[in-house]
Amino acid sequence: MKRQFSKSRPVIWAFFSSVKLTVALLIILAMASVVGTLIPQTEGVAEFAKGLSPAVRKLFVFFDLFDVYHSLWFRILMGALTLNIVICSLDRFQGTWKRFTARPRPDREKPFQDIPGEQTFVIDSPPADMAERVHDYLAAKYRKMRAKEVGTEGYFYAERGGYSLFGVYLVHMSVLCILVGGLVGSFLGFEAYVNIVEGESVNTVVSRKERSPIELGFEVRCDNFTVDFYENGTPKEYRTEVTFSADGKRMKQEAIRVNHPAVFQGVTFYQSNYGTVPGNTVHLSISSQGGGPGARHMKVEPGKPYSLPGGEGTFSITDLRTNIMDIGPAAMVSVKPEHGQGIRFWVFKYQDRAKKILPGPMLNSPKFNASAFEPYTFTLAGLDTRYYTGLQANKDPGVPVVWIGFFLMVAGLFVTFFISHRRIWVKVSQQAQGLVVSVAGTSNKNPVGLQREVNTLTLSLKNLLQGDRQV
Amino acid sequence: MINSIILSYTTFIYFAAFFLYLLCMVMGRTGFGRLATLATLVGLIAQSLAIVLRWIESYQLGIGHAPFSNLYESLIFFTWTIIFLYMIVEWRTKNRTLGTFVTPLAFLAMAYASFSPGISSKIQPLVPALKSNWLISHVITCFFGYAAFGLSFALSIMYLLKQRDTPEKKNLFLRLIPEQSILDELNYQMIVIGFLMLTLGIITGSVWAHSAWGSYWSWDPKETWSLITWLIYASMIHSRMVRGWKGRKIAYLSFIGFCCVLFTYFGVNYLAGLHSYAK
Ligand code: HEM
Repeated sequence: MKRQFSKSRPVIWAFFSSVKLTVALLIILAMASVVGTLIPQTEGVAEFAKGLSPAVRKLFVFFDLFDVYHSLWFRILMGALTLNIVICSLDRFQGTWKRFTARPRPDREKPFQDIPGEQTFVIDSPPADMAERVHDYLAAKYRKMRAKEVGTEGYFYAERGGYSLFGVYLVHMSVLCILVGGLVGSFLGFEAYVNIVEGESVNTVVSRKERSPIELGFEVRCDNFTVDFYENGTPKEYRTEVTFSADGKRMKQEAIRVNHPAVFQGVTFYQSNYGTVPGNTVHLSISSQGGGPGARHMKVEPGKPYSLPGGEGTFSITDLRTNIMDIGPAAMVSVKPEHGQGIRFWVFKYQDRAKKILPGPMLNSPKFNASAFEPYTFTLAGLDTRYYTGLQANKDPGVPVVWIGFFLMVAGLFVTFFISHRRIWVKVSQQAQGLVVSVAGTSNKNPVGLQREVNTLTLSLKNLLQGDRQV
Repeated sequence: MINSIILSYTTFIYFAAFFLYLLCMVMGRTGFGRLATLATLVGLIAQSLAIVLRWIESYQLGIGHAPFSNLYESLIFFTWTIIFLYMIVEWRTKNRTLGTFVTPLAFLAMAYASFSPGISSKIQPLVPALKSNWLISHVITCFFGYAAFGLSFALSIMYLLKQRDTPEKKNLFLRLIPEQSILDELNYQMIVIGFLMLTLGIITGSVWAHSAWGSYWSWDPKETWSLITWLIYASMIHSRMVRGWKGRKIAYLSFIGFCCVLFTYFGVNYLAGLHSYAK
């Protein structure tokens, strides 16, 4: 294509409008992305870095190789691609616009050079309204229909699919749209998480990057959490029922499942994980050796003091775990006798398992001896647990922009790949043997498709002009 | 599990098809070619039937879902798309030489799925993250993309082989391979279809990730490798506009591109995998 202003344009313009640069940038971006999948990013960085010599580690840190995709140089590459797209599009748009609006003369001879014999046929007694018929037929199927008579010869021109010339611009703009959407999200959005115990509410979430709290401006309450399992034990569904309230008013109730997030005031909540925390009731059983007051079951609330069976003092539960070191539930019992030193020790629900898992020295220390306060032996009979739900809480105002980009990209690719700009010329000339009709066509791509179209058109015109004989 | 039995037979049918396509090219007899097409068609029909049966069976087990959920099912579907796409190309171009280069891909994928000890052919229930309407559209678009790239890879091998063909050489096999310009054109068409499908695959995956995990892009290795593949094919599309970058260079790039596809599909599991649903 001729570029009228190429002389006056600076070198930098030529550089950024070149497709060679595009190929280079796309390949470099691909290679940089490979690097990012081979070197641990964020997770597992510490262990990996330990195995490197200090000099290499410094180099890695200098080039941000532990966070390639957010590094300055990666962003510069993306910026260069953006500039490349913008300048290339600006550079070429004028030419495309000219081609789109061009009105080629109908009486051109060049398209008819070297056309195969099948694209020409002879009608010995053409109908009188021959010209109108061809005209109407082409006008119905094509756009920008033009006709011209030169002496005994009639010329027709028509085209279609001109708009497909802009498909490429749509694709390129869609890339920009997606990049802009990503940028908007990274500046104006956040990624955070929050754990909510059943029955409780929160109004802040914790940012994943900075690990700092973010005020939501509204409250989320976890009304209920359930998890279902298949027969083979794999999880089937997690479900959290939440209530959103703002300014003390309940605004919205919704169930969050995996793949079914809930949105409230621009923040989207996703089911992410779950767990249990101890509830408010601990079932303890206390027995005593050697003629004490006998075994006794007690339901106790953590933190509250209770009298020992023989009145020697009080005890309370000062720590509770639903699962400690894979042993199962455990409670810390703190005993405060009337006289003498207080004592604290862990009591397990599965004492036998604790004996297997805990190392010897630990077992022998009073901290793990359930009979440390004589004459009593404490046993943890049971523990009420409550679920907490782990929610991912994200805000990303760039998402709609990215979605638009996706749509434009798919639409643009369809138009670019599957629709071509086809131009058709038809020439009719009165000659000795009758009316000679020739059909020619050009297309910017898909020559096979064009040939098929020209062949069909030739056949249709033949039928159209011969059809009169039966009348 | 009748479907698995049919599928392991299909493996042999595709092998037979490959053998017949090869015979057709070595001996130059179209009779073998017709038989090869017939075998491939029988394989495709049997495989389609097996996939549908598997789908029905999963509903009978009470865990109904489309059969695209684990490595076994995805390999089966990959084979299906590649054969399906090949059949269309054979029908449109009326040329069978590509079959010799494509059926081995299908046969190998099927054999890997059916006979590798590490791959379970059991119908498993879906974990919550996979329960999404996006699953079907994501898998179908991705695998049609992979299949088109697979055909492009086969065409590139043919292109490079054809280069060794000279009029003096009386090699029937090479002579039967179509002209380089035709191969190049067809190759580009495959890349274009593959690129469109991969784009759709990445987009559907992205939208799905957004609804399941809250982020449409998180640079996990599988996502990143699909982007790498996409970038390689995008560079291929543009390199045709740089003067002199047709034919051989495109064939080599298509080679690299298909390696990326394979790595996206299998290799990523050896990297730190966040995409594994097994967790
Ligand atoms: C990731 C980014 C890009 C994507 C996905 C992309 C995609 C495409 C596609 C699908 C085509 C159509 C090819 C065909 O007609 O068969 C195309 C053509 C083209 N692209 Fe890109 N492109 C990208 C970046 C760029 C950049 C940075 C430039 C800057 C020079 C560029 C310049 C061109 C040109 C000049 C054409 C040919 C247009 C024509 O046929 O008139 N592309 N691109």
